[in-house]
Amino acid sequence: MANIDITLNVNGKDHRVAVRSTEMLLEVLRDRLGYVGTNKVCAQGICGACTVIVDGKSTTSCLALAAQFDGARIITVEGLEHDGKLDPLQEAFMKHGAVQCGYCTPGFLMSARAFLNDNPHPTRTEIIDALRGNICRCTGYKKIIDAVEDVAARSAR
Amino acid sequence: MSSIDDGEKFALGTEGEQRPWQDAYRALVQSFEAGSGRRYVGHSVPRNDVLYKVRGKAKYAANIALPDMLHGRFVRSTYPYARIKRVDVSKASALPGVRCVLTAADIPDDRLKVGSLVKDTPILAKDLVRHVGEPVVAIAADTLEIAHAAAALVEIDYEPITPVLTPEEALKEDAPRLHPNGNLIANLSNAVGDVDAALARADVVLEDTYTNEPIEHSYLEPQGGISFIDPDGVLTLLVCTQYPHFHHKQLADVTGLPLEKIRVIQTVIGGAFGGKIDVTIECASCLMTLKTRRPVKMLLENEEVFSATTKRHTMKIRHRLGAMKDGRIVALDMDILADGGAYSSYSLIVAGRCVVHAALPYDIANVRARIRTTFTNNMTAGAMRSFGIVKLAFATESQINKLADELGMSPIEVRRINAVETGTKTVTGQILHAVGFKKTLDAIEPIYEERKKALAAGPKKPGVLRGLGLASLGYGIGYSGVRNPSTARIELTEDGIVIANCGTPDIGPGSDTALAQIVGEEAGVNIGRIRVVSGDSTKTDDSGPTSASRTTYFSGNAAMLAGRDFRRQFSDLLAKKLDVTPENIRIDNDQVIVNNKPMRFEDACATLGSDVKQIMAYGVFNPDSELDFVTFKGNPYPTYTYATQLAEIEVDIDTGKIEVPRFWAAHDAGRIVNPMGAEGQIEGGVVMGLGMALWEKICRSDGYIQNPGMRDYLLPGAKDAPTEITTIFIDNEDETGPFGAKGVAEASLIPVPAAVAAALHDAAGIRLNAMPMEAETVVKKLAARKGNKP
Repeated sequence: MANIDITLNVNGKDHRVAVRSTEMLLEVLRDRLGYVGTNKVCAQGICGACTVIVDGKSTTSCLALAAQFDGARIITVEGLEHDGKLDPLQEAFMKHGAVQCGYCTPGFLMSARAFLNDNPHPTRTEIIDALRGNICRCTGYKKIIDAVEDVAARSAR
Repeated sequence: MSSIDDGEKFALGTEGEQRPWQDAYRALVQSFEAGSGRRYVGHSVPRNDVLYKVRGKAKYAANIALPDMLHGRFVRSTYPYARIKRVDVSKASALPGVRCVLTAADIPDDRLKVGSLVKDTPILAKDLVRHVGEPVVAIAADTLEIAHAAAALVEIDYEPITPVLTPEEALKEDAPRLHPNGNLIANLSNAVGDVDAALARADVVLEDTYTNEPIEHSYLEPQGGISFIDPDGVLTLLVCTQYPHFHHKQLADVTGLPLEKIRVIQTVIGGAFGGKIDVTIECASCLMTLKTRRPVKMLLENEEVFSATTKRHTMKIRHRLGAMKDGRIVALDMDILADGGAYSSYSLIVAGRCVVHAALPYDIANVRARIRTTFTNNMTAGAMRSFGIVKLAFATESQINKLADELGMSPIEVRRINAVETGTKTVTGQILHAVGFKKTLDAIEPIYEERKKALAAGPKKPGVLRGLGLASLGYGIGYSGVRNPSTARIELTEDGIVIANCGTPDIGPGSDTALAQIVGEEAGVNIGRIRVVSGDSTKTDDSGPTSASRTTYFSGNAAMLAGRDFRRQFSDLLAKKLDVTPENIRIDNDQVIVNNKPMRFEDACATLGSDVKQIMAYGVFNPDSELDFVTFKGNPYPTYTYATQLAEIEVDIDTGKIEVPRFWAAHDAGRIVNPMGAEGQIEGGVVMGLGMALWEKICRSDGYIQNPGMRDYLLPGAKDAPTEITTIFIDNEDETGPFGAKGVAEASLIPVPAAVAAALHDAAGIRLNAMPMEAETVVKKLAARKGNKP
């Protein structure tokens, strides 16, 4: 099977990579490019742990064929911080106790970031709806929703 | 890449990465410090691994790669019960890139079987497979793709045998014997008083049978680990586990290596809930490393997690409750039949816990409890949050709610009349202390009354029935009836890092943070300088597993004692160095005060120089918890937690769908070390309990799991969780716990299904005795109640 040459811009950095046609974006990010902050869980597009932002849209990278993303701008959890300053969502997750085992955390952060970029002033109900594609088994969601709501409220001021 | 650095378990990274984090974390915790009173214990300090976790830097097993690493994979049984006629690995072995193909034939018979309590589980199946998904062959290859390809080339001929799929079948006289000693894993019973006589004279006798379905723990991180031989020749295993020291000893048995030549380190773990306490990849991975002398990484896939790791036990609980008209419960009779699956795992512990907890949290004079757990050819049942007690509570608490309705009493009043208190003698003869159960009832009562009025007066939604239900629990902390000590050892570095070595690993709830808070409180140092090293068989002592809500209480006590010892040793040493009397030295608020003159802790450490190495502070906590498993007399647990929870639900009449908009949880967990962390435990446990009550089930057919993956297994999401969960920690202190703490994690889930069942009855007049209480069943019952056939 022929490899397909693509360019992925990950967290502002261009990567040339030859991918197999069957290779998923998650595998390329983790295994080829070393962005292991994005976790693999269900590989069925259900749990949202592998969520990254592709051209502004939250995407479950476990079901996305890498070859489709030539030229795409991708943000992973490693790309949330800038110049040593954390994203307000990262700060809020720490402050509100929204992290326990942490395996779902990168996926939640990326879903929430993509959502808040589109809708900076959501209602709590809208936040819950936006996070419906991410599974957390530890927290019961309350503190995650609280954290996202806190960021939304602060950006509203 | 240094292998030991990569083996560093610490969530916050290697020594080199540590310093900037220490500064950032110290700044973070400063905003949480109180001006007076206790500085850390009782405060919502952020977790000490949180910076790494939000930045995507945590070293989960999947994220660790070593040079020259092989990728491992199991070939698993495709039959629930079969004789293995032939295993041919020649084609797989010949595939380029395959470095090791391991079968049972490669392992000496006396080293083949492993297990948590009973060594009955083959590392790789020999002659027989007893469940679908049992590992038969292990392969290590240069890439995962090659390992997969090689797995497809393994030829196994099976001769299927009719499987035993229920405990009832397993107990039949002519049932095939699944293990040499027969089909019973556990057969335990206990009786106090005269149950039959008490039932005969009771005003009310309620009898019913309660059932549940198997549950997958559904931790997000699949089991995984990496084994390698370090530069000193030590076989090292990095693995996500609840009990690294167990694997350490077991690997010595399996490999024949001395203990000092084996090291097991817990990696940062992505959830466990009882599901990472048994053997999965550990032995096969290490044996393949010994054969190839290369690192081997094995990671399960989500489908394997669902189809080939332990599940929650299914139980059929026949329950009889006898009471007098005034609400006094005079007799409880419980007979449990449980499906233990193919191997014994933690079935004995689950059974023992059920017998001991039969009456809790009630003081009942006549109690009889029996449990029989059998082998079957289903996937092995093991430990899962509450060790069986959630099923017991579903039965007992549902019975008590029925009793309240029958007698026209408040469910709170019935519980209050029968509640255990400080001084109550349990069925094992233990005298209880620090019991806060009634206070949890007191906390829930006004909310219950207020919501009852609100629901009665509130606007009715068309097509929606609303109801309230409550349930309670009493739960023993720690191993059941055997001693399980924990230790802590504290060292100091010249630049002022306090290293607390604690055996029990943090499996997600934040126990490393709680331990740092306890050490910081006791030693007087800022927790930003405390590095908790846990779950490392070389650096820490075997302090038991992180399970049974035991870490805060057991390791917390040990950490407190070690912190005290640290303070004394530090003062003595500094006194000698400065030639003052030790009484004139205090450590407080991260300062060392010498003759009333404060100095920075770092400066005091610098003054000591290399003498800091003389400090070897130690704490051990080994409470007297022993039980005779024949007479069931003794003190099975050093302390107990209590709770009462209230659910408010809405039932859609047309679809049967149940929503839980509000939930209240009042807990006596002793003094709370970290309120934010403890709340997180309660909230997570409540939602996990709702999953079990309403949606989750592993569907089985002929020994095969039909829904092996998250796509077909209904896990609660953000939209399913209550919009309001209110946690109430009642004011109680257990003087035997560290700063009065007991434990939190498991209790949170135990009353949930019974509370929901009671709310369903309140809303719709329906009683369901089987979990999950699915919408389909609710609709059918609603139709039947109206006299219509659905």
